[in-house]
Amino acid sequence: MSAINNLIVKVGRSVGGVVGTLYQAGRDSVDTVIRNVIPFMAFISFIIGLILTTGVGDWIAKGLKGSASTLPGLLLISVVCAIPLISPLLGPGAVIAQIVGTLLGVEIGKGNIPAQYSLPALFAINPQVGCDFIPVGLALGEAEPETVEVGVPAVLFSRLVTGPLSVVIAYFASFGLYTSK
Amino acid sequence: MNLHSLMFLSADVTVDKQDGFLGVLATAAEDFIAVFNKGGEVLLSLMGGILPTLIVLLTAVNALVRLIGPEKIENLGKAAARPGLQWYPVRYIVLPFVAVFVLTNPMAYTMGRFLPERFKPAFYDSAVSFVHPILGIFPHANPGELFVYVGIATGIQQLGYGLGDLAVRYMLVGLVVIFIRGIVTEAITARMMKKGA
Repeated sequence: MSAINNLIVKVGRSVGGVVGTLYQAGRDSVDTVIRNVIPFMAFISFIIGLILTTGVGDWIAKGLKGSASTLPGLLLISVVCAIPLISPLLGPGAVIAQIVGTLLGVEIGKGNIPAQYSLPALFAINPQVGCDFIPVGLALGEAEPETVEVGVPAVLFSRLVTGPLSVVIAYFASFGLYTSK
Repeated sequence: MNLHSLMFLSADVTVDKQDGFLGVLATAAEDFIAVFNKGGEVLLSLMGGILPTLIVLLTAVNALVRLIGPEKIENLGKAAARPGLQWYPVRYIVLPFVAVFVLTNPMAYTMGRFLPERFKPAFYDSAVSFVHPILGIFPHANPGELFVYVGIATGIQQLGYGLGDLAVRYMLVGLVVIFIRGIVTEAITARMMKKGA
């Protein structure tokens, strides 16, 4: 009798554990969505609304069209974003990358920028990723202060090389992407 | 009622566009509210399109990570710390991928603690560069910065193309790029440490 009892308790506990975990996971994800995702969506929606209804869109389109629909133009964007003094300023929250990405998305949707450029563009707007966060990120990895001292410039200089390089790789990887329909 | 009279009737109802001061005000007000109407439309389409999938996916992956337990990947971190050429891909492809997938941004960088000091900047560089390429397929890793990918992906969607191709290529190219970044940054770090010592 006690064996059956134990079994029931065991099954009940593990089922309860799994259900509890799933429920907690749901709570976490809704929390993330409300706190991080929806506010940004609201902000982005406002910007898109502004672009689509006012003349700002055409103005941006002219500026972006030249640079975002050729490989040299994308390389130029990536080099500018990777300059060691600029990259930490562009980094925080990836806000700049998200806004520029959205602007490019609007232009791609309108057909002003060819669709296959979406892949290299994703890398061109983002060589500064995490450049604002290097000391904190290294501290999370329990790095010594000396490592941080060396690590910050090392990452920043590395980006100057790997930023444009990533655009070139993405450019060649984009062959055959959305070209025929 | 024939067509002619219908047209006549509708012409009767149409109000002439007001000019003068009040007319300008009215047009300005309409233009003003049009911006937010459009914005609201966009917001609704975003929330209707992405959010439901995102919430369900987030829940599933969060649950999976909780059931497995983040501490399980510590052995991988220890393996990645080994010197030698064959551990490069582990250190700058497998470990960043697993760390970003399981621990997500920003806790992924804590995996650096298993590596010797000279690899830490390179690992950080590699891991942080992967928090966006992973978004196309696994948005749970960095939901706060979703629009780096979604911004551009929305444009592709408007053209009527599928997103799978872009998402897969973004992640694969991302893996290649973080590998190169890890190697380059490790080399630069090594040179700078030598100079400093």
